[in-house]
Amino acid sequence: MSGSWWRGTTLVAGRALAEGLASRGWRAVTALMLAIGIAAIVLPRVLSGGATSYTLATVGDAPAGLVAQLSAAGEAGQFTVEYTALTDDAAVRQAVREGSADVGLVTSATAPQIYEQRAGTGSFPGVVAGAVQATTTLHALAAAGLDAAQIAAIQATPRPEQVVLGTVVDEGRAGVGFAAGLVLYLALILAGTGIATTVATEKSTRVSEVLLAVLRPTQLLVGTVLGVGLLALLQILALAVPVGLSLVLSDSSAVPAEAAPDVALAVVWFALGLCLYAFVFAALAALVDKVTEVNSAVMPANFLLVGSYLLAVIVVTSAPDGLVSVAASMFPLSAPLVMPSRWATGGVPVWQLLLSMALTAMTAVVLAKVASEVYRRGVVRTGRRVTLRELIRGDRSGSYRSDDSYRQHRSASP
Amino acid sequence: MLEALEVRHRFGDRTVLDGVDLRVEPGVLTGLLGPNGAGKTTLMRLMLGVLEPDRGRILWDGAAVTSRERQRWGYMPQERGLYPAMKVGDQVVHFGRLHGLSRADAVASARRLLDEVGLAERWDDRTDRLSGGMQQRLQLATSLVHDPEVVILDEPFAGLDPVAVAELSTTLASRVRAGRTVVLSSHQLDLVQDLCETIVMLDHGRTVLTGTVADLRASSGTRQLRLGLHAERGWLAAFPGVEVVSDDADELRLALPADVDALAVLDAARAAGPVTDFGLDLPTLSQLFLLAAGHDPHESSAA
Repeated sequence: MSGSWWRGTTLVAGRALAEGLASRGWRAVTALMLAIGIAAIVLPRVLSGGATSYTLATVGDAPAGLVAQLSAAGEAGQFTVEYTALTDDAAVRQAVREGSADVGLVTSATAPQIYEQRAGTGSFPGVVAGAVQATTTLHALAAAGLDAAQIAAIQATPRPEQVVLGTVVDEGRAGVGFAAGLVLYLALILAGTGIATTVATEKSTRVSEVLLAVLRPTQLLVGTVLGVGLLALLQILALAVPVGLSLVLSDSSAVPAEAAPDVALAVVWFALGLCLYAFVFAALAALVDKVTEVNSAVMPANFLLVGSYLLAVIVVTSAPDGLVSVAASMFPLSAPLVMPSRWATGGVPVWQLLLSMALTAMTAVVLAKVASEVYRRGVVRTGRRVTLRELIRGDRSGSYRSDDSYRQHRSASP
Repeated sequence: MLEALEVRHRFGDRTVLDGVDLRVEPGVLTGLLGPNGAGKTTLMRLMLGVLEPDRGRILWDGAAVTSRERQRWGYMPQERGLYPAMKVGDQVVHFGRLHGLSRADAVASARRLLDEVGLAERWDDRTDRLSGGMQQRLQLATSLVHDPEVVILDEPFAGLDPVAVAELSTTLASRVRAGRTVVLSSHQLDLVQDLCETIVMLDHGRTVLTGTVADLRASSGTRQLRLGLHAERGWLAAFPGVEVVSDDADELRLALPADVDALAVLDAARAAGPVTDFGLDLPTLSQLFLLAAGHDPHESSAA
């Protein structure tokens, strides 16, 4: 029996999947996701400029000692320096004034001078000043009779170590939590909309009637959720895989090792959230009569999703252990979006996580049952939009077939 | 044999079916007739198990229908019932597999059926690219792809042109001859009176007429004599039981009670003036319906 249940269900899922893969709309959104994923890697590098370059104008060639100092500083500070050799002081001033050089340096005078176009144009003039000062000091030390070893020893004086006192370690994890929330939110919106559209299309074309004569409502519902859910998952992968790959390949410290369990948890939340919301979307879509009514029909579910997501982004990130955050991460409908980002802040007790998951899972089971009931009744009511109240009232007259009574009709009452 | 016994069904406060019986025998094309809103679609949905009756039973060969048996049935709903974005061939194959065929069997059967309904060339076209008439033929193919034992068609003739009506009639007749159990619904009573052998007529959820078409028409006692006659109508006084149904310029239509000899009336008419045309008509199903629905429905359904 369960074998044939799965056969019908996979046929429904396979059909939804094949139709989605072949549709232009799905391909367009997937391409967009891929583009966003790639842009998320490429854009920050382009914008931050990667290799910053400064131009230094000098009278004649820059002194070798200075060039060595600046290239050492450039390696540490991720910038390169280009040198422009000019004939005299006036030419250097002119170049800086015109902007063809960032900084001008005149060492021929008794006191070296550094020209810049405006005050406070960044750190480079200061770096040049420091380098000039260091070079002059070295010359002075040599003139005072110190030998090369002594000078090297002075140069090797260690810099003070920079110690960060803020909670910077958590930023990577919080980032993972934020990303997981965003991806989950997008996936739920995509999957929910897809499921709702498929259900409404089947209902408005009366395909559902033919299907219900062969299949049980749960087969139709679960098959549709599986097929369309998979389509949404593929789209999310198009977004997430490029980003994930680049993070792993670039050996970046953006994702700390302790975030790995967070990523695993996000996957669990993805499954829970999909189960929870997919059936709600399907049930709401079963109430419509025309496909164009889908958007207004699934509005309540969309509100819930957007609200939960905003809670996760605004409230939870600012006060992860506040009352609202804790409540929202426990309330089953918002938990899939709120808990991952709260958990990633690091201060959530394990029992809260487990309780939240258990509540969400139980609610998903209950909602799946309620939703297939609503779906089963709504899908055969055609001609106009059906309200939930009508369906509940219809229950009392017992006019609908249930999954359990599928095999045998009740016999006539005497 | 497919049976619906004493079926009663309500939607909320509205009674859609109020104790309806329907028997469909293999090899006898059966029509479920009646005006819009009579309860035909609901009865079909009940037989298919899409809905469950409040009271009464749906039986197949005398026993409650199982889902395994229903998988061998075919259903064509009133409108569309097709995935708009699916390719024609894929669509038929998909429904074949849903009804339990293997992929290979479904493909072979789909090719055969699409050939039969004249859509073999359109295998790779999207369904919504087909014209309305073609979609209707495709729909027929999807409901017959698994060679169903029972075929249930809801308003299959609605919106078809005369050529398509003839083609569909041929297809259905071949299934009936092969011993399949076929029932169709229609609100165009006169369109199906030559096709269906047996009918059940519904009105407002009740049975108003049931039986074989030939018996119902012959035994109604409302034969009509049609006369093309240029003459005064005074001669009619000799036949007190005869009623004038319509009296246009050159066509006179008379309703003959069962005891009146049609030939005697014709002779009297010829004596009165030149008869250019004449004919004896049995009542149409819609005339029978109007007669039956005008009476107390319980009287007729007792038949």
